[in-house]
This record gives sequence, C-alpha cells and structure tokens, in this order.
Amino acid sequence: MRRQLPFVLVFLSGFFMIFQYFVPHQKSEFVYEFLLDWLTIIGGFAMALGIWSLIRVSYDRIKRQRENWGYSVITLTGLFLMMFFGITNWEDGSFGVYIYTAEGLSNSMFVHFFDFILIPIQATMFSLLAFFIASAAYRAFRARSVIASLLLLAALIVMMRFNPIFGAWIETVANWLMNVPNLAAQRAIVIGLGLGMVATALKIILGIERGYMGQG
Amino acid sequence: MTYLLRVLLTLALLTGTAVFAQGEPPAVDTTLVDTTTVAPPAPVTGLTGKDRDNDHGHAIELTWTPSVDDLENPSGARSVLRYRIMMWKPTEAYRVDTLRQMYDMVRSNYAPIRVYKPLVDSALILIDQGMVDVSALPFEVLLPEGINRTDAPAEMMKYVRKALQDTLAAMTAQVDISKDSVKVFRSNFLAAVESLPEAFNANGPSSGHGAWDSVGAEVPGATFFRHAGSKEEVSPDFLPDYADLYYRVDAATSDPAVYTASDVCGPVQASGQWYNSGRTVVLISVIIFTILTVVFVQQARRGKELYVRPLAGIEAVDDAIGRATEMGKPILYVLGLGAASDIATIASFTILSRVAKRVAEYQTQLIVPTYDPIVMTVAQEVVKSSYLDAGRPDDYNEDIVYFVTQSQFAYVAAVNGVMLRQLPATNVYMGKFYAESLILAETGALAGSIQIAGTDEIAQIPFFVVACDYTLIGEELYAASAYLGGEPVLLGSLKAQDYAKALFVVCAVAGFLTLILADATGAHWLAQFKQWFMVAD
Amino acid sequence: MKKTSVIILSGVVILFLVSWLVKGASLSGEENPYLQGFLTTFAAFLTLAVFSFLYRDNPFYKFAEHLFVGASAAYWMTLGFWQTLVKKLIPKLSDGLANFFEVPTEEHSYWYFLPVILGLLLLMRLSKKGGWLSRWPLAFIVGYTAGINFVGYLRSDFVKQVSSTFVPLLIDWQGVGHFFSNFSLAIDGQFVMMLANVVIFVGVLCGLVYFFFSKEHTGLFGTASRVGIWILMITFGASFGYTVMGRISLLVGRLTFLFKDWLGLIS
Repeated sequence: MRRQLPFVLVFLSGFFMIFQYFVPHQKSEFVYEFLLDWLTIIGGFAMALGIWSLIRVSYDRIKRQRENWGYSVITLTGLFLMMFFGITNWEDGSFGVYIYTAEGLSNSMFVHFFDFILIPIQATMFSLLAFFIASAAYRAFRARSVIASLLLLAALIVMMRFNPIFGAWIETVANWLMNVPNLAAQRAIVIGLGLGMVATALKIILGIERGYMGQG
Repeated sequence: MTYLLRVLLTLALLTGTAVFAQGEPPAVDTTLVDTTTVAPPAPVTGLTGKDRDNDHGHAIELTWTPSVDDLENPSGARSVLRYRIMMWKPTEAYRVDTLRQMYDMVRSNYAPIRVYKPLVDSALILIDQGMVDVSALPFEVLLPEGINRTDAPAEMMKYVRKALQDTLAAMTAQVDISKDSVKVFRSNFLAAVESLPEAFNANGPSSGHGAWDSVGAEVPGATFFRHAGSKEEVSPDFLPDYADLYYRVDAATSDPAVYTASDVCGPVQASGQWYNSGRTVVLISVIIFTILTVVFVQQARRGKELYVRPLAGIEAVDDAIGRATEMGKPILYVLGLGAASDIATIASFTILSRVAKRVAEYQTQLIVPTYDPIVMTVAQEVVKSSYLDAGRPDDYNEDIVYFVTQSQFAYVAAVNGVMLRQLPATNVYMGKFYAESLILAETGALAGSIQIAGTDEIAQIPFFVVACDYTLIGEELYAASAYLGGEPVLLGSLKAQDYAKALFVVCAVAGFLTLILADATGAHWLAQFKQWFMVAD
Repeated sequence: MKKTSVIILSGVVILFLVSWLVKGASLSGEENPYLQGFLTTFAAFLTLAVFSFLYRDNPFYKFAEHLFVGASAAYWMTLGFWQTLVKKLIPKLSDGLANFFEVPTEEHSYWYFLPVILGLLLLMRLSKKGGWLSRWPLAFIVGYTAGINFVGYLRSDFVKQVSSTFVPLLIDWQGVGHFFSNFSLAIDGQFVMMLANVVIFVGVLCGLVYFFFSKEHTGLFGTASRVGIWILMITFGASFGYTVMGRISLLVGRLTFLFKDWLGLIS
C-alpha cells in the first residue's frame, strides 16, 4: 500500500486532467482551477524544504570548518537578513506585521537588498553570456567535422547579415536560412520532442515510468 | 489601499492645479465638429444569436448583416461609423451590480481601513495645525511638478486635506464596515445572483422592467460579435447561464443622438457543454497513441527484443563515470531549472538514477545541486534508492543532493563555483535549461570537464552542441531516459513514438499530395483534408 | 594570508571607501546621500566581483556568489510566503488571519485544508519515519502535470504540426506554360517560393527520420537521416548567430551601469 497508493493517485489525477481537457463545462473547469491552486500552495510549503536544506548544508560546513566555510557564513547572513526584512515590517526600529500591498513588498531595506545586491549580480551574471558566446564561437571555429562546419557556416552568415562589406545578398541568405531550413528543423524537433513528452507523460500516468519515485 | 489613497490624492491635486491655472486663457478646442445633421442610417438586419459552442458557458455569439449605410459599403450613405451591441438587462440585474460593488468595497476595505483610518485622522490633525511638510505624512502624496514637498502652499494643503477627507468618507460613509457586515453583504449578493436567471426569464424587453445596456462595439463592416461574459459572479462582466437574453445592434453615426436600432433578437441562452467537439482529433490521437504504447509495452514485457539504435550521448555517460573514477574526481549532475513535474526533469531523474547507481558501484563522488525544492526531494529519493540498488546504502548521504536557490543566476553562480573549485571530471546537464545553458557549459569546458547535455528547450540546444562533448538533441533526451531506465518496458514507448512519427509522415505526404491535386486540377474540395487536423482552442 | 592577498584586499577596501565617500558627497542634496553612495558602490563592487570570475575563481567572486545565493533564496521564499500562502490560502481559511495580514477576505472553502495537508505531508520528508508520506503530494503534482502535458503536447506538438506541414507546393499556379514563361530566380519569385516549400517539407521528413530510434540508419534511410542532421546543424548555427547580438547588448548594459551610474564618466 505504501508503494502502490501514490501511483493510484498519479493515475487518478493524470486521468482527470486528460478528461477535463475534453470537457469545457464550468464544473470541470472549476475542479481544474481548484487543483491548480492546490499545486501553487503545495509549492509554497516546499520552499521550506529548500531553505532547510540550504541552512543545513551551510551550517554543516561551518561546524566542520570545511574548506571555504567562511563563505557559508555570508550565505546565512544574506539569507536571514533578507528573510527578516521580507517578513517583518521593521522600519525605524519598530516592528509590526508586514502589510502586503498591491505594489508588493515595500520595506525599504528589502527593496535596497533587491536593487543593490540581487539585481547587479544577476544582471552581471547574465552579461557574462557576452564573453561566453564569444568563447563558444571560438570553440566552434576549430570544428573539424562536416556537421560542425555547417553549424559554423550558418552561424557566420547570420551573424554577418547586417555587415555592409558582404553586400545585400548575405541578408537575403540569412533570412532564407531563418525562414526555410530553420522552420523545417524546428518543426521536426518539436514533433519529436512532443512525442517524447507525450510518451513519457503516458508512461507516468500508467505507472510504467516510476524512476521519479525512486524506484526503477 | 495606499494605492487608492494615492490615486485619489493625485486626482484632487490635479483638480487643484486646474484651479490654479484658471487665470490662463482656456485652451482652444480644435476638433472639427461636423455640424451638418446626419440622417438616421438603415438598420442592421438579420440579427441572430446563439450559444457559443464548446465552451464553459456564459458566452453568446451574434451575427448580422451590416447596415446598407455602413462606412465600408460604397453604394450607401456611409454614415455608420460603428455598431453598438446592446443587451437587455432587467432591473434585478442592475440591483445585482450595485450589490456587487458594495460587497467588493466592503471586502477589500475591511482589513486596510483598520490601519489607515488612524493614520488619516492624525494627518488631518497635523494639517489643521498648519503643517506644510508633505513628506512628513505617513503616506506618499504626489504633488504636481514644481511644488516643494517640504513647503507646500497652504492652498495646496487644503486640497490634500479635502482628498483625505473624501477618501475616508468613501471608505466609511456608505456602509458599516465590520467583520459581520462582510458576511451579510456576501450572502445578500450571492442570493441575488442566484435569482438572476429567473429575473432575466420573467422580464424581457416587452415587460419594460429594465433597460438596454451596451456590452461592446464593433467596427464598420463587422458581421460578428462574441459577447463573452465572465463566469465569476464577483466580476462586473458576469453573464448568467440558462437565462433568456435579448440583444439588439445599433448602427451608430458620428452624432451620438442619431442611430438606428435593429430588431431585437432573442431569447437566447448561454450554457456550457460537456464535450468539446472541436477537439475530437486530439481525442482520436490520444486513443491511437495510448493503444500503440500499451501494445508495445506489452510486447516488451513478454520479452520481445526491441531494437534501439545506439546514441553517442548514452554510451558517453558510462564512459564518463569510468573516467571520473580513474581520475578520482567527482561527477556533477545538473537537473536544470525545471519543476519536478516537468517532463524533461522526470526524464532526467531516470538518467540520474542510472548515473547514481554507477557512481555508487564505482565509489565515485556525486554532486547534485538543485534549483527547485521539490526537485531536490525527488532527486534525494532517486539517488538514495540507486545507492540501495547498487548495494551501497552506507555510502549515501543527504549532502549529495542539496538545494541552492530558486533564482536562475544565483543558481548558476553557485554551480560555476562547484565546477571551478571541485573540478568535476564530468558534468551532466539534463532537463530544462534557459539562458544559463551557455554560462554553465562554457565554464565547464574551460574547467576541462567532459560534458554531456540534453534538453527539450530548443533555443538552448545550439549552445550545448557547441560547448559540450555530447548533446542529446530534443527527443533523444527521452530516448536516453527510456534506454538508461534499464527496463525493457520503457523502450516499448520508443517504438510507439516511432509509429506516431510514421503516421505523421503518412498524413503529411497525403496532405501535400491533396494540395497539389487541388491546385493543379481545381478540385478544391480536396483541400478540405487539412480541416480534419484543425483543433479548436 | 599571503602578502599579495593582503595588499590586494587592502587596495580594494581603500578604493571602496574612497568611492563611497566621493559618491556620497556627489549625491548631497538627495535623501540619505551616504547610504545611496554606499549602495551604489556596493553594487559596483559586486558587479566587478562577478566579472573577476572571468579571470579565475577568487575570494571576491566567492563573496558575491555566496551572498547572492543566500539573499536570493530568502527573496523567493518571502515572495512565496506572501503571494502563495498569505494571498491565496489564508483568505480561504480564516477571516481572522486574513485581517491580521491585511488581505481581503473571501468566501471560506474548507477544501483548501487539503493542499495544506499535502504541503505538510511534503514536509514529512524531514522526518526519517514519515518520509514515505511525502510521495503523496508528489504523486498528485506529477500526475496532474503529466495529464495536462499529455493532451497539451499531443495537440500543440503533433496534431497542430500536421496541418501546418500541409504547405502548397504550387503557389499561384496558372499552368506549366505560365510557369516557364515567367521563370525567375528572385527571392520572392514563384520558383524560389515553391522551392522553399519543398525544402521545408523534405526538411521536416528528413529531420523526423533522424529521430527514428527503432531502425538502423543505413541505406536510403541513412541518407535521409544524414540530411536531417545537416538541416538540424544549420538551424543550430543560425540560431546561435542570431543570439550573439542580443548577448553583447547585455554586456553594454552592465558597462553603462559602471561608467554612468557609478563612475559618472558618461552622461
């Protein structure tokens, strides 16, 4: 029962979702939206698991003084400060229950943390892509097989499409590449992927695929 | 609530600015007004209404023949500039609207008013004492440009005061806002909604109990309007099911007073359907695909050998684990940014279980940083049972799979750190990846790791192809998952996928040929074949 | 600590302090100039710390990384708490709690205790004995999305693709004679457009052949599969090339922050 019951639940919820797809009636839609709410709420509880894991791993590192343990102190400091400002209404030394407004969380320290720590690091990490795309392009240049050369050639044509040195033909070719072979390949991938997903989903609903429950 | 305060204050202050600006000459209205009188246009004819098919109800579709004087009709007077769609609303429906507004106000004001009333009260006292520093108020006040925040003119403070008073009055005057009143308003409102269909049925336009209400407009030339109401009772657009609805369409001209109403059409009733006939082709596909899968899985179960062509990426996984063992370095397994329920992530779990089993057998180190807490939970379960299967449950510890953060680039930063500090021999990326794919794969390549990737995000496949040693392209990820799952029944579905692809090819070729024939011979009925594959939204 | 490390660290600290003071002084007239100065300098420091990773792993990057992980985890948790639990769940369960958190009350629905129970079952993972209970909420989540995906992808990635693959081979067809007398190689000419449709059609078929798993890729099948992988690679190259410009502009955005908002060198 311990092992089988979850799969019965998988089957029932999966089957209901297939069923409701063909039933537009309000009653089936109501259950669908209701279950969708459940899903987000369960997700909210799951956050606690994640935070617990983060705290446990960091604490463990500090306690055993593993390599780089000092940085785990920084992780925990960032975590607790941000949580404190996000959940309490601490401002000017007074506490209170936080007021959730339509504009979101407006505790000024919380906003400062977001604007001056999270945003800059996030944007910079993202901008690293500029360097990495360059180094990836360099890696592609050294390609020696036929298919890798095809990739490189197509990439070069599209990259240079606005370059006046090559004349107008390059833009025409680049557009053709984006509109014709690209469309064909995208469609082939989408169909394959779609069928792969559909098959996996069906295997899950029918209880054939059980790897995700830790049982092969 | 602060928002409401701000909006009202802004409004009041703009009015104030208008008062200040009174000395200036009035702006000249340059809009050309057509002073010639417009003759009433010909009416819309043939108005019919019906319930919208294949929906959850609460929607009506209207069709009509445009007025002869439509702007788009060159042979008419071209005076009809738009069509106004009118629905008959019985008096009771207007009462429900009022009840809804009051319930809404009570509901959303009850909680904030406890906090804001004292604040507004104290602000009023301050202003009465001659305070001119707006920034000292316990909420933000938006002043017109050029007015000093710390020294606003007394005139201006008068408007602030007025706005505050009005806001307070709006919040408290009409109704008694208390915990019990919320309930009373709710039950009154819901009872009225309950009786709404009866009210519609009993009071048609001929009864005179009610009025026409505009529910939308259409451009000249239009012949169709979908009145899609809301199914939520609390929404102002709520349209009841199983209620007699009457419509008419007004042909409107440039002069608001001149229009011609069509004949009334009705009664029509909206209702929800129990089967979406526009999706039959999907239902057929579901049945065919399920049968195919079940048949091939049964074949596999009975021990029939199913051939699967070798995939380079799959063989590389085993080699890479051996390499890591030889080098005494760990293996990094990245599940991507997907949720535990994303199919790509589930496929990845199956591959992870194989990797973890090998890792346990070879006694190599495994690192699995995760992005989603539920993914972490599942991955722990998967890895734990793989260690158990490999006969080494003691080697498993909870730190193999850990949570990092649910922020895309913070996760990337941390995984990059792992790659550079622990120098894994092999990095495996399987699952859902977005813009971070290239950052991860390039960092791994620079650190000298062997890299194997697979994702269903088409846009990211190119980056993995360039930066990784082996990439499972699209569907290959699912094939690998079935292949590495270690159970022959899983391969049964691969066979079903192939048959579905073959079916696709057959349909596509048939469609291609019918279109050629249709064009070449002029037999356009052949093109109907395409319609079979159209799905309703 | 090595001597060089001390020198570098003190150099960074001094630069930080100088930037803080200068930035603070330049912002006088605004509210809290020195807090603003500190925050801008700190943001610039973090930006440079992340860039330093391109050279190699170093303590500054580690600092930024660990701070980012902790703060962002808390950020998402806080958001989840307010937006999911407080906004979605609490009004359905209790007026008292809804008023406490200042969210509008709603009609109660005791069905909402079920996700709470499922959520708590998920947390049972933390206990050694009840861990197996956490599979129930998981089963619900996985089953629910598997059902949605099953029909959803069958429709969007299969049935809908069938009809969109039906492209007419003959465009603007007015007979063979007309075709040859108006023959042109222009990009928008009849011939090139028809050729494009043929390439798309054949490309899709060859791409699909590449994804056939249960047949050996030899003979004609092998040729088609090879054409398929060529088309896939051309596509990957094209979309790689297409992304390059967008990525460069991200870098420009960060450099603008450093040179404009922090150093004030460009206006």
